[in-house]
Amino acid sequence: MGKFGRIALGQRAGHADGSGLSRRGFLMAAVGAGVMFGFPAAPRAAQQFPATGLPGDGAFEPTIWCAIAPDGAITVNIIRAEMGQHVGTALARIIADEMNADWSRVTINYVDSDPKWGLMVTGGSWSVWMTWDVFRQAGAAARIALTEAGATLLGIPAAQCTTRNGMVIGGGRSIGYGDIVARAHPARSFTPDELAKLPLKPAADRHLIGNKDLKALDIPAKTNGTALYGIDAKVEGMVYARPKMPPTRYGARVRSVDDSAARAVKGYQRYLVIEDPSEVVQGWVVAIASTYSAAIRAADLLKVDWIPGETINVSEKDVIDHGRTQIDRKEGGVMVFDDKGVDSTFAAAASVFSQDYTCASVMHYQLEPTNALAFEKDGIFEIHAGNQWQSLILPTLAKALGRPEKSIVLRSYLLGGGFGRRLNGDYMIPAALASKALGKPVKLILTRSDDMQFDSFRSPSIQRIRVAFDGSKAITAMEYHASAGWPTQVMAPAFMPKGVDGKPYDPFAIAGGDHWYEVGPLRVRALSNDLANRTFRPGWLRSVSPGWVSWGLESSWDEIAHLQGRDPVQFRLEHLTGAGRNKGEAPDSTGGALRQAAVIRRVAEKAGWGRPLPKDTALGIASTFGQERGMPTWIACAALVHVDRATGIVRCQKLTLVVDAGTIVDPDGARAQTEGAALWGLSMALFEGSEIVGGLPRDRNLNTYTPLRIADVPEMDIEFVTNTEKPTGLGEPGTTPIAPAIGNAIFNAVGVRMRHLPIRPADVLRALKEKGASAA
Amino acid sequence: MISRTAILRLAAGAVGLGAVAGAGFLAYALHPAIAPIAPPAATSFSAESVERGRVLAAGGYCAECHTRRDGQPGIPLAGDYAMATPFGTIYSSNITPDAKTGIGTWSLAAFTRAMRYGVSRDGANLFPAFPFDHFTHMTDGDIADVYAFLMAQKPVSSVKRENTLPFPFSMRILQAGWKLLFLHPGAYKNDPAHDAEWNRGAYLAEGLSHCSACHTPRNAMGAEKASAPYDGAPVDNWIAPPLNATNPTPVTWTENEFFQYLRYGVAPLHGSAAGPMSPVVHGGLSEMPESDIRAIAHYLANIDHADARQPGDAQHLATAMASSTRDLTTPQTADADARLYQGACAACHANTGTHPVLGRPELALNNALWLDEPTNLYQVILRGIGTEEGQSGITMPSFYHALTDADLARLAAYLRRTRTTLPPWTDLEKKAAAVRATLPAPPVAASH
Amino acid sequence: MTSFRLNGHDISVDVPEDTPLLWVIRDEIGLTGTKFGCGIGMCGACTVHVGGRATRSCITPVSAVEGADITTIEGLDPAGTHPVQEAWKDLQVPQCGYCQSGQIMQAASLLKDFPQPTDEDIDAVMGGSLCRCMTYIRIRDAIKKAAAATGGEPSNG
Repeated sequence: MGKFGRIALGQRAGHADGSGLSRRGFLMAAVGAGVMFGFPAAPRAAQQFPATGLPGDGAFEPTIWCAIAPDGAITVNIIRAEMGQHVGTALARIIADEMNADWSRVTINYVDSDPKWGLMVTGGSWSVWMTWDVFRQAGAAARIALTEAGATLLGIPAAQCTTRNGMVIGGGRSIGYGDIVARAHPARSFTPDELAKLPLKPAADRHLIGNKDLKALDIPAKTNGTALYGIDAKVEGMVYARPKMPPTRYGARVRSVDDSAARAVKGYQRYLVIEDPSEVVQGWVVAIASTYSAAIRAADLLKVDWIPGETINVSEKDVIDHGRTQIDRKEGGVMVFDDKGVDSTFAAAASVFSQDYTCASVMHYQLEPTNALAFEKDGIFEIHAGNQWQSLILPTLAKALGRPEKSIVLRSYLLGGGFGRRLNGDYMIPAALASKALGKPVKLILTRSDDMQFDSFRSPSIQRIRVAFDGSKAITAMEYHASAGWPTQVMAPAFMPKGVDGKPYDPFAIAGGDHWYEVGPLRVRALSNDLANRTFRPGWLRSVSPGWVSWGLESSWDEIAHLQGRDPVQFRLEHLTGAGRNKGEAPDSTGGALRQAAVIRRVAEKAGWGRPLPKDTALGIASTFGQERGMPTWIACAALVHVDRATGIVRCQKLTLVVDAGTIVDPDGARAQTEGAALWGLSMALFEGSEIVGGLPRDRNLNTYTPLRIADVPEMDIEFVTNTEKPTGLGEPGTTPIAPAIGNAIFNAVGVRMRHLPIRPADVLRALKEKGASAA
Repeated sequence: MISRTAILRLAAGAVGLGAVAGAGFLAYALHPAIAPIAPPAATSFSAESVERGRVLAAGGYCAECHTRRDGQPGIPLAGDYAMATPFGTIYSSNITPDAKTGIGTWSLAAFTRAMRYGVSRDGANLFPAFPFDHFTHMTDGDIADVYAFLMAQKPVSSVKRENTLPFPFSMRILQAGWKLLFLHPGAYKNDPAHDAEWNRGAYLAEGLSHCSACHTPRNAMGAEKASAPYDGAPVDNWIAPPLNATNPTPVTWTENEFFQYLRYGVAPLHGSAAGPMSPVVHGGLSEMPESDIRAIAHYLANIDHADARQPGDAQHLATAMASSTRDLTTPQTADADARLYQGACAACHANTGTHPVLGRPELALNNALWLDEPTNLYQVILRGIGTEEGQSGITMPSFYHALTDADLARLAAYLRRTRTTLPPWTDLEKKAAAVRATLPAPPVAASH
Repeated sequence: MTSFRLNGHDISVDVPEDTPLLWVIRDEIGLTGTKFGCGIGMCGACTVHVGGRATRSCITPVSAVEGADITTIEGLDPAGTHPVQEAWKDLQVPQCGYCQSGQIMQAASLLKDFPQPTDEDIDAVMGGSLCRCMTYIRIRDAIKKAAAATGGEPSNG
């Protein structure tokens, strides 16, 4: 049995109760549920699309990434989390295209954690970009190995063979990949060096990459109720758990628990006080019950007396004020850029622009509340849950459980929304600890309010942008400072790169500030808001810092353009010269700032920049480079906005987006991601946003938290630049330019400058009043 | 259920005792016992009479108040239903034909006297929680049929719990004064000014089905105010809406609306039968023939002056329909209350076009929004409506745990200001808490 | 004991009467296509049909569905090819997919009330169904496509 076969068996065992059928209290006179409801009779691996089953013995595995079965079925192993990006389909296209495989025989298989996969993380809009070379090489390896074996079967030299649609063709004959595997039993493997040197197909020959006709493989199961998410995981004998949330994220200590009221709930079993050696959860009490419904009620009825943590009185304003104080101080923070001559240029400046911009806390509100099923079986601790960063939580789980990492396995499920929430696997810890304490499987589910209280939400942030001008109003230097909670420092410090001053910083709390505009000497300083870090667990949230950095940066570009009486589009283009460090580097940022200039030019043209518009209606433009300098997705947005002067209500009528993400692997998926990302941007600009009150996020559910809904969607026009550059990310970049484009449009419409997100009607009204007063 | 409510107010009637004295008083107060009889055999009644009695008993909701509901649910008609009053708890009596604990030894004469005069077989005055002031209007024949039905039931030995009314409310003799003032005994007499259907409807509504017991406000003595028939009144922590021209809903309660409501549990232009009205429709009136329901609807539409009010309906309906999707079809950033309505309610309640879709109750037309208090709106939101209530087969969930009192107040305020033309309700959050407190237990084990 | 019909089968469950229908469907009966989102009836992920009407199962006590006819996403169409499901696949609506069972059930119910829905109808009714991936543009398009496919006639799905 090959390695793949063993994994497959392990996976089957892990989903031994995959029928998901519980018979407790379920009376169906002599008719099994499977018969009645058509459940699959046999257990199956949870995450395979289409659910064709895994290849058995005799499959050929040229690399760990794919297997070709004797019947021609091709299984592609996906180590990324499926959370709506259709990442499996996109990645499988890359490998299958390079293999010249028959797409109709491709199955994607979302794997469980295993050291052999290397870094398992799904975030940063990295998946396609990170996998591009690996999967093309793996595809080439399969193609070449199959060609060699096929040529032997055909009795001609491999050089005279070609491949197409799952067949090796030569000498007027052809033979299918499956037949080759069945008859020739190819076994060739490749060293990393060999893989790196394999010849790859030219872009012109691609038949799956960029193909508009292919459908996402995971979608059918998401229309009929068969798709399995973490919350759907079940195992025989499990009990349910729901936490009673402590009054602070950290430092709460349980003084006493009174479960006398909870004991009246039928099905309630007991409570547990969770002691977590990894200190990820502190002060947790969980109610254990035989049904989740009972656990819900019991947790509500538990009376817990806590000594709260020290952050019990921290407010949103405290965090932002602290950040402002940090920025005010010259010392502190980490220099991401610190070009020579910043201070002297500012000292010599004829004038200086300086503005602060702030953003409120934003909740993930991924629709599937965090949950995990945990149990020990045959010496292995299994965690069944949707997760985005298996490699990160494994060592923490090991610490919490007091057992080696290699004895813990994370089983993969679909994610009912990721958006960065499930990069942080903290929700697995209490499930694992409860299971360990009880010695039985525990299914822990957070209700929505538990989940929001426990969220590692987007930190409130404050940024300061200072720009120096000479006597002719030319920009001569720039400073960019930002303070926010640092998720990477709190959760993954080993991943922090070092600034030019040698100190580690969180790239996801400053990226975006290191922009591609030509401004003379540039200082980019990142400050870790320690009050934020102490109060809550700052999270990575869709588009991370570029989602809020761009709010300040792109607003300030407009402000400066208007101060100088310049056209904001033209002004930007003049500073996107592609010179020096902004010329870009192949293959990731080939073309540099000139590609950003191109998307701005195109979006202005598409949106009709400069055309006459009705009263109090205007376009606003903003542009970013997506997520990070090392992997820029060039994007520009024009927002058409109307402002009601009487109510302050801002209505976004249309969003026009132009995106250059290099090669577009999955055109419809790219559009879907950009639609969703842009609407996230709109939601964070106008509709949602929370606030820290008493050390915790104020909003606990949809009765007060108000993310974008269907009626709030504006007209959208999205265009992708066509080229054959290396593909970059698409999951998040669409989020980044929306808020500043709206802010800039508001200014263009009614002349008031908004500097806080979200933009609320009351704030617009106030600004309009102040403007009226100052004008009078 | 209906009579249960009456007791809340009727018990207060006992207070009026001091005002009523004199010779006439004793005439009302003192009644001889009627001799017990050997319980008649069930077979001594004709099947036709028993069947007529079964339907009448349903139409008078006998089982509603004569069946224990708290704790261990009781056997139908065996009594012991707890009626909580501000003065104490009254427990209903066993009206199965058990000789010792029920009415097995009651002759037809004794039963008729009870129905017509509120006097027990042994001569004691009955509390007017038993709506004899309405049953008195029944014909001898109908009373005899009800008697036949009850006596044909299986006797159940069941001793009710003792009333907990303190002195002086416990003094049955004092009820005599109340009767002197408010009981107008005697069978219904046809009003020649109206047709047969109207008279049939009046007979049922005023007598057997005692509509005004809940829908007419009570005076200080706990009797229905003769000056304000069908003006609406509080009942069981709900509001029984006015059934006359003071009904505030924008579209008239026409005969057809009444009929739909009383027959099927839902009036397309008003809403469904929830709360105390649900058992009236689904448990009581459902046994009665369609012609009787039609007659009640005909009668109610007449006292409602539906004909005179109807010409305005088209305009009011159009206005309501136009408001139905307000705030739902454009981006909503300013009004958090509208956002709450959109998320919690609109998927089931939004309507477009000219008429609401059946099963998609239009709140702008609904009684609950147009009453003086938000009571019924809160009740429905907190309790939900089961598939066996309201419009049969469909359900409204319980928002008991979903919405806080503050959320309920926001919703109520929002709906009142956007879907009606009436002044705002006051003290909304406090009232939400008060209504919530009347629910014996959370209807659903959900949580935030 | 509460009895009802689920996807055409007679079911009796012995659970406390205040148990939310959602958990009866998911945990007692074992059909997990119906999802838990907000738990307060405001996201629509738990939407099923009760008596043919879209109903939030997370806050519906099982006692309220005595005798009812209930349909879940698994029972919407025996082959999973209800016009709404077909449109959803054609237009590649789902992203993470977690809300989509509820969206589809709500949309199928919408089309019964409004066989040829306008944008206004769709926004008003679908406004209670949250999609955090923000697939709203496609939801709207797919509903119209499904309406066109059914010829604007009421369906009984």
